[in-house]
Amino acid sequence: MKKNRSITIRRSTQIVFLALFVLTVLQATYPFRPWIPPELFLWADPLTALVAQLAGRFFDPIFLIALIVLLSPFVFGRTFCGWICPLGTTIDISDRYIAKKTYQSSRKYRPLKTIILVTMILFAVFGIQLSWLMDPLPILWRSFGTLGMAFFFLITDTVLNGFYNAGIFPDTILNIQDKISAYLFPVSTPRFLMLLLPFMIILGILLLSRISRRFWCRNLCPLGALLGLLSKFSPFQRVVNEEICTSCSVCLKKCKMDAIEDDFYSTEKSECILCLNCSKDCPTDAITYKFQSPKTMRTSTDLTRRSFIGAGAVALFGSGLFSLNVLNPSKTDRCIRPPGSLSEDDFMERCIRCGECVRICATSGGCLQMAFLETGLEGLMTPVSKYRIGYCEYNCNLCGQICPTKAIQPLDLEEKQELKVGIALFLKDRCIPFRLHENCIVCEEHCPLPEKAIILEEVEYTDPETGEIRMVSYPYIDPDLCTGCGICENRCPLEGEAGIIVTREGEERF
Amino acid sequence: MDRRTFLKTSAFITGMSLVSNQHVFSKAQEPASLVLVKDGSPAQMADKVFELLGGVSRFISRGDYVMVKPNLSWDRRPEYAATTNPELVSAVVTHCFKAGAKKVLIVDNTCNDARRSYKNCQIQEMASKAGADVRFVRDSHFVETDIPGGTSMKKWPIHKEVFKVDKLINMPILKHHSLSQVTIGFKNMMGLIGGNRGRIHRPFPEKIVDINRVIIPQLTIVDAIKILRRNGPSGGNLKDVEELNTVIAGTDRVLVDAWSAKLFGKDPKSLKYLQLAYTAGMGEIDTEKYKPVTFTF
Repeated sequence: MKKNRSITIRRSTQIVFLALFVLTVLQATYPFRPWIPPELFLWADPLTALVAQLAGRFFDPIFLIALIVLLSPFVFGRTFCGWICPLGTTIDISDRYIAKKTYQSSRKYRPLKTIILVTMILFAVFGIQLSWLMDPLPILWRSFGTLGMAFFFLITDTVLNGFYNAGIFPDTILNIQDKISAYLFPVSTPRFLMLLLPFMIILGILLLSRISRRFWCRNLCPLGALLGLLSKFSPFQRVVNEEICTSCSVCLKKCKMDAIEDDFYSTEKSECILCLNCSKDCPTDAITYKFQSPKTMRTSTDLTRRSFIGAGAVALFGSGLFSLNVLNPSKTDRCIRPPGSLSEDDFMERCIRCGECVRICATSGGCLQMAFLETGLEGLMTPVSKYRIGYCEYNCNLCGQICPTKAIQPLDLEEKQELKVGIALFLKDRCIPFRLHENCIVCEEHCPLPEKAIILEEVEYTDPETGEIRMVSYPYIDPDLCTGCGICENRCPLEGEAGIIVTREGEERF
Repeated sequence: MDRRTFLKTSAFITGMSLVSNQHVFSKAQEPASLVLVKDGSPAQMADKVFELLGGVSRFISRGDYVMVKPNLSWDRRPEYAATTNPELVSAVVTHCFKAGAKKVLIVDNTCNDARRSYKNCQIQEMASKAGADVRFVRDSHFVETDIPGGTSMKKWPIHKEVFKVDKLINMPILKHHSLSQVTIGFKNMMGLIGGNRGRIHRPFPEKIVDINRVIIPQLTIVDAIKILRRNGPSGGNLKDVEELNTVIAGTDRVLVDAWSAKLFGKDPKSLKYLQLAYTAGMGEIDTEKYKPVTFTF
């Protein structure tokens, strides 16, 4: 019974940390009053700390939190992977449905994760930050923050609105919806432009378990590789009582990580995530976990010279490929960055694409979207403002408050309200007053600035066909006042492209 | 009792009751339909408005489901005069409940983010305290509604509770607006419609009148306590705010808008939407002919 209890403790710990992680996602919302920083898990991620700071050439003391995780393997091995990592827990849960029940080995892929780790670090040395692509915590944050939110709305909109429209307890439904709006999500359904790529990444990670359980953790996860490398000497480990062991092979076949050697006694310590399952599964109770003087062991994750050179070559050519922009994003796209963004190069290197800004913006103005290729290959999934989807809310500065790497600098509200992210301009071939000589003024009435950047000039217009004379208000932009918040573009009543658009001309970066 | 005593007694009782009930006596049988109250606190002015109009029970019956429609549309604090005075709103809500209203609903389809706007304008907090149901507006709340007699539109999505409530009290704030020059009661009803609202602006006067063909308030109370002189309707600059400390209320929505426009310094007859509304028989426009009962604290 005691063995079962230790499994229960481990599982509860996993659930608690997953819940905590989800809580950090839920708390990234307006009204912003978090009691756990939404960035906590990302700050505690040593891989992000290493790669982002190395690639971005900066140091932020907040990342010292990551030392807790980084030092844990010296005592407890890969406990982080087995007990804490929310992606690991997510995989454990989905493996119940996805993974096959029979023993499947995927040992030959094991060195991949170390190669990936080394490649990422080398990329970072060359100034390309790939934390966003392979680091489990940004991947998961992005998945919960955008995909999870979209699914949540799909379900609640369908179910609750269905009940409401059918007249079933309409007041209760309204109460539930307003409570959700008060604490978690915006009132209207958030619109995300690009969910396919984050969806493919997380789906791919989960589906890999068809090959073997925790395939991602065993073979691909660079954070796991990093912690595994430091686990070699950890004194807390799996110990087999060789006198009791009957060599039945149950432990080997059931091990999530395939970390048990063929002799059943030795453990691949860089693989073992100390989930304790084998001690429970052992029919003769031969397995215990305890502190024992660490014996140095061979680990399969040791990198051969050949693969190190290979990783170096990939990083060298790869970083060249990333930097080699076929298109010049500043000319081919409007690419408006969040207010407070660092200069484009620094921004790319620091932004880990965790999606925190996109998630929190969706609860406010809703303009921030993950880029596809419009900001170049290196800019995949970086936040850009899409003003036909949302606009930058005048009284909001939350994206900068929440950015874990300060790729978006935290700004005071007053500072943000005066900061230019671009300037609006009229497309006179589209804009209603210029094209049809009729009044419209929707952009002008929405301009939030104390001194409006859109100015109306009333001019007498003579209709050439009817000869009718009427007064028409033609709008103009004062480029000195305009901050490029984009509410004008968002609210332009035209179908399709607006009659007023914001470009990054005149943007102020840090 | 002989006949003479009976007549004397009756005359005395009738006389006494008339004298003692000064209010009824002095105002004759007809309570005012248009009032203008100045220089009190918002709550005092709300009290006076209903007193002069003949009591809130003239409008609200016991058990009524009431919708109060203030302006919560912008993410601004009350002093920016972009949204209706929250104290005035909560005072009106309190009056509705005093008259026995079963439920008071407050909704507005906001221009800025709904949660920010509801919070920053302080109506959510204060009206809820007074007992009102302050609800967010969602797409699912609109129903495509026929507009009989509509000249510029035949159908438009309108908030469905508009057609469920027993009474509707419109509570706009008096503001500058660059298209209609001034925004008052008629324009405030845009907070109860959905769809592509930017399209309402062409042709604005016709469409705004058409919307008001189906959304009909029994009472309009205009907040002119602080008004927005320039850069309306969103404002954002305290220099554009002027304190008039006035509340105009009445049953004739055209006349209330006309008097509010006059207070703003506009000739009501120069406002095309008011002309159209008058022509459509929605109310009176002549501010010379119809004058409010005024009261200054």
